[in-house]
Amino acid sequence: MTTMTSPFLFPDTVAQADKLAIVHLRRDLQIPTILKEHDEDDEGYAEGKVVNTRFGSFPHKTLIGKSWGSQILASKVDTGSRGRRDQKSAKKQKKDNAEGPGNKRQQYEESTSETPRKKLRAEDGTPVEVAIDDTSVAKEESDAVAAQSGFVHLLAPTPENWTSSLPHRTQVVYTPDYSYVLHRLKVRPGAQIIEVGAGSGSFTHASARAVFHGYPGSEEVNGSATKRRKLGKVWSYEFHEQRHEKLQKEIEEHGLDGIVEITHRDVCENGFLVNGESPEAEAIFLDLPAPWLALPHLVRSKAAPFVSPLNPSATVHLCTFSPCIEQVQKTMSVMRQLGWVDIEMVAIAHKRFEIRRERIGIDNGSQRGLQSTPASVDEALQRLLEVEGNFKVFHENGTKVPKQKDNTNPNNRAKIIENLVEKKVYKEGKLVHRTEPEVKNHTSYLTFAILPQEWTAEDEARVCAELPIVARKGDCEVAMSSRAMRKAAAKAVREKAEAAKSRRAVAQPVISNDDTKGSKTQQRT
Amino acid sequence: MDNLVTPGSWVVLRLPSDQTKVLQIAKTNTISLGKIGTFASNRLLFRPYNLTYELLDRKGGDKDSDLRIVPASELHEDILVEEAAALLPENAGPSEIVAGDGVEFQLLGENGEVIMRSNRETIDDSARQTLTMEEIETLKKEGTSAGKDLIAKLMLSHTGLEEKTSFSLAKYKLLKTKKYLKRFTVLPLDVAMLTQRMVEQKDASKVLEIREEMLSLIGSWSNIHFSADPIPKARSGRWLVVDETGGLLVAAMAERMGILHQGYTPPEPKRSPQEEAGEELKDLKIFKELDDDINHTTDIQLATSNTLTMVHTNAQPNLSLLSYFNYHPNSPTDRSSREHPLAQRLHTLSWLQLVSPSQDTTYANPPSPLTSEELQSMKSGKRGTYYRKQRRYRKIKQIVDTTHAGGFDGLAVAASMDPISILRHLVPLLRGGASIAVYSSTIESLVKLADLYSTSRRTAFIQSPPAELQGLSSEETARWQGNEDFPLNPTLLLNVSVQSARVNEWQVLPGRTHPLMTARGGAEGYLLTGVRVFPAEGKVEARGKFLKRKGGREYSCWTTDSGAEGQEREVAYEME
Ligand SMILES: C[S@@+](CC[C@H](N)C(=O)[O-])C[C@H]1O[C@@H](n2cnc3c(N)ncnc32)[C@H](O)[C@@H]1O
Repeated sequence: MTTMTSPFLFPDTVAQADKLAIVHLRRDLQIPTILKEHDEDDEGYAEGKVVNTRFGSFPHKTLIGKSWGSQILASKVDTGSRGRRDQKSAKKQKKDNAEGPGNKRQQYEESTSETPRKKLRAEDGTPVEVAIDDTSVAKEESDAVAAQSGFVHLLAPTPENWTSSLPHRTQVVYTPDYSYVLHRLKVRPGAQIIEVGAGSGSFTHASARAVFHGYPGSEEVNGSATKRRKLGKVWSYEFHEQRHEKLQKEIEEHGLDGIVEITHRDVCENGFLVNGESPEAEAIFLDLPAPWLALPHLVRSKAAPFVSPLNPSATVHLCTFSPCIEQVQKTMSVMRQLGWVDIEMVAIAHKRFEIRRERIGIDNGSQRGLQSTPASVDEALQRLLEVEGNFKVFHENGTKVPKQKDNTNPNNRAKIIENLVEKKVYKEGKLVHRTEPEVKNHTSYLTFAILPQEWTAEDEARVCAELPIVARKGDCEVAMSSRAMRKAAAKAVREKAEAAKSRRAVAQPVISNDDTKGSKTQQRT
Repeated sequence: MDNLVTPGSWVVLRLPSDQTKVLQIAKTNTISLGKIGTFASNRLLFRPYNLTYELLDRKGGDKDSDLRIVPASELHEDILVEEAAALLPENAGPSEIVAGDGVEFQLLGENGEVIMRSNRETIDDSARQTLTMEEIETLKKEGTSAGKDLIAKLMLSHTGLEEKTSFSLAKYKLLKTKKYLKRFTVLPLDVAMLTQRMVEQKDASKVLEIREEMLSLIGSWSNIHFSADPIPKARSGRWLVVDETGGLLVAAMAERMGILHQGYTPPEPKRSPQEEAGEELKDLKIFKELDDDINHTTDIQLATSNTLTMVHTNAQPNLSLLSYFNYHPNSPTDRSSREHPLAQRLHTLSWLQLVSPSQDTTYANPPSPLTSEELQSMKSGKRGTYYRKQRRYRKIKQIVDTTHAGGFDGLAVAASMDPISILRHLVPLLRGGASIAVYSSTIESLVKLADLYSTSRRTAFIQSPPAELQGLSSEETARWQGNEDFPLNPTLLLNVSVQSARVNEWQVLPGRTHPLMTARGGAEGYLLTGVRVFPAEGKVEARGKFLKRKGGREYSCWTTDSGAEGQEREVAYEME
């Protein structure tokens, strides 16, 4: 295999075999799948590996090599089975294949008539988990034949669509929270971030994108050995064995193994060193039930043999993610005792909006999406008068006015298309927005804190010796040559102009090093 | 970003009032905090960020104060003491409070003498007298004694400290501490800080009232990250940006791409006398011109990956906020700007250069090349102008041509301009699967935009494409300029949706935890997101009937009665 770059970081323009792709059905229904050229598991369809969705079947063959963003039509697939199968039926399947395709098709028909129909009825329009099975047949794989209906879109993975499609093993951190957290923790290319617990890996993927500053081995900038890039890394910890294993596998499959290092560990017990090595982290995200138990390991210098997991020459930014206020209080109390500063707690309220056209009125009769109440007082009056008129006719000659009712189903496809194309209903009505029916009202409280770099008396003495402090006495100003003063004044004017209207406060004319040097030069020449 | 405060960098000093002061720090300079006092810049240089200092009383004859680093235990002392007190039995008076962890809680008298330490010592009677408002004012004006002194006086003035409940005591102290202490904290100026400052203290409308949480969401949803391609010359990691926030959005994106902060390069240590002489020579006019000539002939190599391409409204881009990161895009000869990572990676072009380059003077009029003899005979000033023109032309030609070639990985917009007109020109330039994020301070323009991608409009478009599209290639269809019914081609974006996020700050104190009572009003801020897609060639046959949802809501999926394989199946027409 060529160098494994992650489709999260370098998606390329087309979907590639052996890499992750997102099969998009609709916004909240996306299926992650690793594209396979052949059905290595040898267990299903004549077309090779297939993604089955309720919008159709999609052989991987029809996905590989396609541009990201392509709309992909469903294929007619040829198989003997649908749905999850155990080992035994998989074996039986192989035997069936050997017996000939006719048998297979028959079996297919039988098995499909049941489950999907049930699913549809149960669902009533609301999205339901879809059973995905990447099953297929090797041996002789045949070409895919397009079905008459159904399609998906093929998307490159991003932390956002991964977060909304990943297999949930725990609660996960969603986009609004992780975006803000990574921003506040100042996680930028080259950063080292500690993350516990890894859980389902939602935060892990977002962090990997944020710290990424090249793959190991690409530190040199333009081949120059002196200008080296610091590569970023996510130091992730998870004490649950299966979760750790699953995530490790995903990280490898996603081409992120040089960027994420997952350690199977209870951090409250055993701290953060990995093979005795310090992550030298400058950012920390704790998403575990008792963050205050992890904090005592996240300190700077302590008596040997303790090695700090923190970067000794950087400010460390920390965020804990806890659903309950009691956890926050306990955490904060320990933070204060351990010397963290700028301790602050926030919660993020996030909303998505539904945007649609509201059509109200009687005149169109019963129509899809139309509320059959009067649009105005005038319309109400008109209807009332109509009723009055009908009454009169009935009283006077005893005949009922026959209701003019259109018995055809207003919601058949032809009618809908007609409404759309001819009547342009998409332009009718009032354009409105409102919050989506379901709102995540509370995810967790985000507690932020900062641990400044340690600054000892020796450090202070060293810097003082290098850059002495010139005390200004009484009224005398710091000596400045007339040229330096002119230059400083000009610079101040220039700076003012640049800052335009956003007035910024420069305490005193800025005397840069160059200026003093310049004045020296002049004196000498 | 540097971990230490370095000369030339912009820093933020946060005062106890939560007001901030921004300044570019230089060596051997004086920094003034107004009434609080002044101190030498060298006191901060080459020290870590995020330290809190206290201005000490000036020594006799000195103009400036010396500084003292305030340790964290002292910053938190009120709460630490209070928490310790809370562990004591109900009616134990403060006289029994002993702070844990070696923290000493002390109130200082006028001359810095300790009135009370860990609440065990008796209160000085002289401090017990009640202060009048005038006295407080004079104390403030004098500003000679440390703020703590004043607090001690204020606290002790009303009643004896022991009579106060811990509730009112803490509140009282918190208020007063904030007001009077002569402390400040040194913070780095990064995008987060700049955003906060612009929104809370400066003119928020200049940055479209964009809050940090929205800025970070734009970054995620446009999928911006470091992306210098390992394969040289490959074009990847290119983002389009429309920024009417004076450069704040560009800065935020650049920070995520690792190209905003330059890092401090210390001056060469110990130069030989020859080198010193060389420096001097540089100042001479003739050498300066020579230098300029060189500057003008060597083009800045524009990068092909990990780049930002900004389309701007005026002839010159408004990126004034980038000056806080020492990048001045409109003065191309400025040495620090030339060496800034943005010089290679931030490409700017105007809407005219994008939409109709032949009408742009720079692009349409390449300077005619001169022979070396002609150049030799020119005055150096004229020669300089010639080189500058050449360079400018080559640069804009390269930018315009690569932009037209398209294939961008994402688009981020924060503008007050109509987003429909922006998307009309920029969506065709995105690669398939590219993410877009459009910010607006108010929702109305995004509602209109989202409506152009509604399921019903898209369905109508697919069922009966506008006549003028007949016979056009898919490439041409993507660049179609729209008509009245379909101002934008509704099949080019998937998943169009609008969201908003808001951070609510809490106060967390022992027994007094609640969301802050007040917060900033103004624009909420909204984000429209979507993904660039390619519709399948030909008519995508969708069969079935609409499901009707409760409340007459339009439902966006079709169901089929008879699938190809006799199977009932839904056909996605995506989300509303
Ligand atoms: C809520 S989940 C984290 C979800 C994750 N942040 C995400 O976005 O997918 C919490 C995880 O922390 C793990 N965990 C809890 N305590 C731990 C500890 N002391 N050390 C390591 N992992 C721990 C749990 O096993 C669980 O998987």
